[in-house]
Amino acid sequence: MKKTLTALAILAAIPAGMALADDDCKVPLDEWQPKEAVSRLAAENGWTLRKVKVDDGCYEVKAQTREGRRIEAKINPKTLQVIEIDDEDDDDAGRGKRDPAPVGSVAPPANGLFGTGAPPKIQVN
Amino acid sequence: MKSLLTTLALTTALTLPGLAQARPVTLTTTLSGYGGDGAYLVLYVTDARGAYAGTLWMAGDKSKYYQSLGDWYRATGGNPAQINGITGASVGAGQSLKITLDLADALFDAGYVLHIDAAVEEMRDSPNEIALPLTSAGAGKPVRGRRYIANFRYDM
Repeated sequence: MKKTLTALAILAAIPAGMALADDDCKVPLDEWQPKEAVSRLAAENGWTLRKVKVDDGCYEVKAQTREGRRIEAKINPKTLQVIEIDDEDDDDAGRGKRDPAPVGSVAPPANGLFGTGAPPKIQVN
Repeated sequence: MKSLLTTLALTTALTLPGLAQARPVTLTTTLSGYGGDGAYLVLYVTDARGAYAGTLWMAGDKSKYYQSLGDWYRATGGNPAQINGITGASVGAGQSLKITLDLADALFDAGYVLHIDAAVEEMRDSPNEIALPLTSAGAGKPVRGRRYIANFRYDM
């Protein structure tokens, strides 16, 4: 479901010496740099960190760039090399696709399925 | 794409005449413990000819992921107008999504089929995971999904 961000502006902000590499990280645990190192990397790139977790053997961070874009970056835990950056904002927005209006903000579509036109009630357990 | 949507709108208008009567229906989708991120689910209806009739609910609010809901996306082009006002959050593994709505009477016992497409980040897409004819006799009878949905049922 991911789309790789091709925004050169963001990649250009990554410090020299970092390049694209294979997707998954295969690093022994004792060679991992601590999360604090990821925080420093984010600060150097001008990212405001929202979340740091481990996925596919790599660090995965959710952050916001100086320009306000929400991104998800995969980082090698040993070298702190940025492997991949995904744009969490809608890639399609620039091509006219927008996220839909959430429930309650507008009436359901008049597709003939909703007998009374009332919005659905939702419960998640 | 615009002409397709126009056709869909016209088809819907022509094939769903006089759906004024409605009944409260509860759609319950229970996900399995598939061990991944929250699932995007879309519940939609096709008519007796298999043509897309409309969407009932979209669980997942990022349009960039809608292409993973393959059958629904092919029918709608991902047009947000199809799901404005009927969109909410994705559903976590093991959770149960209960949707209560007033569903048009004419949808039952008339060849309409309720479909669910499902998708999870970094995991295989699952279009048409559920395809269940809407019948009075089928109410209250759970059916199993193929990949992410443990079971689905509708009650009225």
